[in-house]
Amino acid sequence: MNGHQQFEADLDLYALGTLEGEERQALEAHLRTCADCTRKLEEARGQLALLALAAPPTAPPARAKERLLERIRKRPGDIPQPAREPAVRFDFWRWMAPVFALAALTLAILTTIVYRQNRELNHRLKGLQAAVQEEQARFKRAQAVLDVLTAPETVQVTLAASETHPVPQGKAFYHRDKGLLFYAANLPPLTREKIYQLWLIPTDGNPISAGIFQTDRNGNVEVVLPSLPSGVTAKAFAVTIEPAGGVPQPTGPKVLIGLVS
Amino acid sequence: MGAKAEISDLALVRRVVEGDESALASLYDRYGGLVYSVALRILRDAQVAEELLQDIFYQLWRRASSFDPTRGSLAGWLLVIARNRAISLLRRSNPGITEELSELKVASPWNLESATAQNQLMGRVKAVLEKLPPPQRQALELAYFEGLTHTEIAQRTGDPLGTVKTRVRAALESLKKALNP
Repeated sequence: MNGHQQFEADLDLYALGTLEGEERQALEAHLRTCADCTRKLEEARGQLALLALAAPPTAPPARAKERLLERIRKRPGDIPQPAREPAVRFDFWRWMAPVFALAALTLAILTTIVYRQNRELNHRLKGLQAAVQEEQARFKRAQAVLDVLTAPETVQVTLAASETHPVPQGKAFYHRDKGLLFYAANLPPLTREKIYQLWLIPTDGNPISAGIFQTDRNGNVEVVLPSLPSGVTAKAFAVTIEPAGGVPQPTGPKVLIGLVS
Repeated sequence: MGAKAEISDLALVRRVVEGDESALASLYDRYGGLVYSVALRILRDAQVAEELLQDIFYQLWRRASSFDPTRGSLAGWLLVIARNRAISLLRRSNPGITEELSELKVASPWNLESATAQNQLMGRVKAVLEKLPPPQRQALELAYFEGLTHTEIAQRTGDPLGTVKTRVRAALESLKKALNP
């Protein structure tokens, strides 16, 4: 009997609960990866459930039903819980708008005020986001983001469309040591074989890839703190269209480009 | 005990999701007896069985929205949960497990929505068990109603472990063959 047949034969025993020790662990591990066996397990459970019908039929006491209904009525807050939709999408441009204004101000401001602004931004973040886990990840990123935005050496670059695509816009905040933030809007969606790729064009040397990305449903994009070699002075930033998976050097048409002034 | 066969489980669950108490009452009428019977058979304690009965239907009330009818049978889920929890209580093992409606899927092609259907199936199950060779039947019942593992059954009956496994497998096979529509 080959391995998989053995697993299948054990499903009934597993549903029954008699499978023990290593055999049980092996089957559980297998179930995690085998959809077919998982389905067969559901069927095995269904069959086994019928054994419940072998129990001598006994009516529960009448008060059991009353108590159940009382329990339901007593706690009107316990209404059936609706299945939740996945967390709302994050509207980046709205979030970024106050931050753009902030960046202009904070350049000349002392660290205590920056700290307070940081807290306020975190507050706003928390107020806007729906999922707690996403919140925590974004909180950390936001601190790093603010770091880039507020550092005096950070350069701000506005990217505008090249001739072929008049509508998209982008903004990059780049600090040689703290990292890169990139936001874009109105980028048209691409087919499956294509992807957008962001490039840092240094003063010396070849363009460095800063990541590949797709746009969300609204054509918005963010690339936050991608891994880049530190200490690179940027001359320009650009976004090109490349084959899915990205390429080591730009080959496709430039959709956005901006020079560091 | 009435089991209003005119309205399907699916329709009743939908109404429960909307907060319709009478729909839950109908589901209770339909399946409460089965749940209680298996709980009582396992636990041998009417009070604990009654509490378990209530807990299960209360959980159904709260979590009906996560029940996906395309992926499982409500009756199946109720019976599996009833048996699993009764065994847990009996053996005082893992008392905190609560299998979520959405996590434990039970595929059951049998319709148990009417009292007639339930009685018919009850008869068939009993017939199958009665036809089993007594050692097989005993092993199966010890496993199902007392939650014993192969090793424990072997200890209880004095039989070799391999024999016990073979008997349980054979009993399950017979059950499968006899019940498959």
